Amino acid sequence: MAYILQTIIDIATGVLEEGLVYAILAFGVYITYKILDFPDLSVDGTFPLGGAVAAVLILKGVNPVLTLLFAFIAGTLAGTLTGIIHVKFKVRDLLSGIIMMTALYSINLRIAGRSNVAIFDKDTIFENAFLKKLVPEAVKPYETLIILLFIALFMKLLLDFYMKTKSGYLLRAVGDNEVLVTSLAKDKGTVKIVGLALANGLVALSGCIYTQKSGFFEISSGTGSIVIGLASVIIGINLFRRKEKVKATTAVIIGTIIYKACVSIAIAIGLSPSDMKLITAVLFLAILILSNDRKRKVNSRA
Amino acid sequence: MLELKDISKYYNPGTINEMCLFHDFNLKVEKGEFLSIVGSNGSGKTSLLNIICGSIPLDRGAIIINDTDITKKPEYKRIRNIGRVFQNPAMGTCPSMTILENLSLADNKGKSFHLGRGTDKKRIDYYRESLKVLGLGLEDKLDITVGSLSGGQRQALALLMTTITPIEFLILDEHTAALDPKTAETIMELTDRIVKEKALTTIMVTHNLRYAIEYGSRLLMFHKGEAVIDKKGKEKEELKIEDILGKFNEISIECGN
Amino acid sequence: MKRRIAGMMVFVLMMALLYGCSAGKGDTVTIGIGQYAEHPSLDNCREGFLAGLKSEGYEEGKNLKVEYENAQADNSLAGQIADGFVSKKVDLICAIATPMAQNAYGAAKNTKIPVIFTAVTDPVLAKLANDDKTPAGNVTGTSDKLPVEQQLKMIREILPDAKKIGILYNTSEANSVSAIEEYKALAGNYGFEIVESGITATADIPLATDNLLTKVDCVSNLTDNTVVSSLPVILKKAGEKKIPVFGSEIEQVKKGCLATVGIDYYDLGVKTGKMAAKVLKGEKKASDMNFEIIDQAAFYGNTAAAKDLGIDLPKDLTDSAKEMFDSIAE
Repeated sequence: MAYILQTIIDIATGVLEEGLVYAILAFGVYITYKILDFPDLSVDGTFPLGGAVAAVLILKGVNPVLTLLFAFIAGTLAGTLTGIIHVKFKVRDLLSGIIMMTALYSINLRIAGRSNVAIFDKDTIFENAFLKKLVPEAVKPYETLIILLFIALFMKLLLDFYMKTKSGYLLRAVGDNEVLVTSLAKDKGTVKIVGLALANGLVALSGCIYTQKSGFFEISSGTGSIVIGLASVIIGINLFRRKEKVKATTAVIIGTIIYKACVSIAIAIGLSPSDMKLITAVLFLAILILSNDRKRKVNSRA
Repeated sequence: MLELKDISKYYNPGTINEMCLFHDFNLKVEKGEFLSIVGSNGSGKTSLLNIICGSIPLDRGAIIINDTDITKKPEYKRIRNIGRVFQNPAMGTCPSMTILENLSLADNKGKSFHLGRGTDKKRIDYYRESLKVLGLGLEDKLDITVGSLSGGQRQALALLMTTITPIEFLILDEHTAALDPKTAETIMELTDRIVKEKALTTIMVTHNLRYAIEYGSRLLMFHKGEAVIDKKGKEKEELKIEDILGKFNEISIECGN
Repeated sequence: MKRRIAGMMVFVLMMALLYGCSAGKGDTVTIGIGQYAEHPSLDNCREGFLAGLKSEGYEEGKNLKVEYENAQADNSLAGQIADGFVSKKVDLICAIATPMAQNAYGAAKNTKIPVIFTAVTDPVLAKLANDDKTPAGNVTGTSDKLPVEQQLKMIREILPDAKKIGILYNTSEANSVSAIEEYKALAGNYGFEIVESGITATADIPLATDNLLTKVDCVSNLTDNTVVSSLPVILKKAGEKKIPVFGSEIEQVKKGCLATVGIDYYDLGVKTGKMAAKVLKGEKKASDMNFEIIDQAAFYGNTAAAKDLGIDLPKDLTDSAKEMFDSIAE
């Protein structure tokens, strides 16, 4: 019994770790999809962008904590470009994301130098001399989880705080009602660009953490990020739709963990791997239908 | 003072469907004037408002506000001095944000939207007072999301939000049309009070002839991009609904209806 | 309703976990096999691995429990699969292909679970082994590094006058990129010039092939997943121009490539399986064994393809062949 319990704890730890890494990505997707009402596919490119930045900088000997900042900045730049393509060149939202995602593939390859870069033997935010000294043996198995919990909560609180600032208000307004933003004498395009920059910064940060956690960068690691993000956001938001007390960011974290748990269960019960993607798609569709998630959109008359 | 000089606007230019909306149209609105505009559908009322605000571009002519040519200014820059209330109550508020957040947003118009606290706690009492004046009980619902309010409540809030910061011009785009008669009445009275209180130069488009007659200092009737009636001062006061209706019939016959 | 759904989910989770744990202890050993993608060569590898284990006395269903997962080329899924194996405390993880191996190594790093990899082209570059080829941790296995030099020699023998070899590869496959570099470094020794054409998706292949075929005397394949999966397209286009296409392993020759001095992934798997058996028996630790490569690459030829191209395969090659095919598999 103790053995089974230990196994359950171990599996849960794994799921929580994965969930918390992707929760930061899901924050980004939450901003684009839920707040800006902008299905941003550049996410599939910015996630590995963060990873590429992390791998290269860590190999160059940069402090792993600092790479988090650089990855975030790289992501905001990519998001800004997506925004400029959409706002200034009037390319449709979906297409601007696809363009950026495609471009980022090459950019990521350029940054990383090759498609797979391992950093197993380097210090990361999860493994370094400082932690080795600090963390007692008993806590070791949960070290990664604790660090992730700290980062995810920190980002959550930061995001909650941001949403309560004037700038955050404006961001929420632009997704809710573009006309009002114009009425407030603000350029709605700029606000969108800021939102996309912030969102992609978060996604790249998530990619940076992911790479440090797994110990290597892989160019294909971004494939399907948007699906993970969307599924997590939709699960989380709909689960707590009627609970006004629960903050959206909390809902998103829980949504991500549930999504990752579902994947873990699917693996555990031995669902045929070839069916995995179909199962994901069906799950996704089911949630969408159940929640009948249609955004109230203001009909803009011009 | 707002001045439209020789403005022209065509739809579908160069095609078989080309339609001339305005051709060398001129209009001058004096400071403090409350202008009501009536007219049949497609007569160019709403387009006129859109042209003033910059929502649609102009083909020719100039828009001048207080001796400054603003024709080239983008919509969001022009709107700094202009408040606009739309027919659809949803367009003046953010449904997923609370009343308090909406008011805080509106209150920050013209200022920088930085990383400071979104709601200024010191202003809450003022917001509550302003809401109380509406008489809709909204002052006790500051933390309720606007999406759950009725159309009338939202429109009242939108009106309040539009006029909470100092503006010079108020543009009302059939802002009572989507409301039930009683609520429409309330909103109209409220509008009149705010306009008088703040001495706003106002342009109101309406289909309600009674409002057009009852409120405002000048009345304009639009047809095919031209003002077929333009009365102010004493002339306007003497104007009756029948006069306007008569003109309407004339136009209709002309159009072959 | 929601509570019921939540309850069901918890129930399923518990069942799943119990199922996962039922492996239990005792005489049977449990291994987790994680394969990065669905691919005939990698499948061969896995079958060979199990055969290798069997030859050492570990038979599936008797004293061996195998948990097989395929990541469908999804790196995030590969990570979760590796985590799952570690949580279930399998006795050994077999990781097939580079990203799977890296995920498994990363997940098992702080545990006692050994990781045996296969089909990793460059374990040093992947940091699964140190620069001196010793294991980076409790991890070892086999490399499917192409015998590039032997392949070049073979091409020279079959095509004495050829000057340019074209190679198609996916820029995102690390194995391909390092193989290309080796080709370029060695081509000069045999009087060849390499014309590379990088693609990023299956959809790029027809155009890239057309373009490449105008510039080269023959084509040589790598073990590039994207390219290999589109092999029929490449072979058809090259066949029309009578340009020979060389494979890099047995499966490709079966499908109509002219010839290869390549590796048999099944054999590679067998070798890996034997290494795994040593670890399971406790004879050796993974951390004490350097990774291995197939040292004797064998010649494989396809006479049907040769006939179509009007090429005679030199007798000394066909005589030394490990296997010759006289038809083109669909």
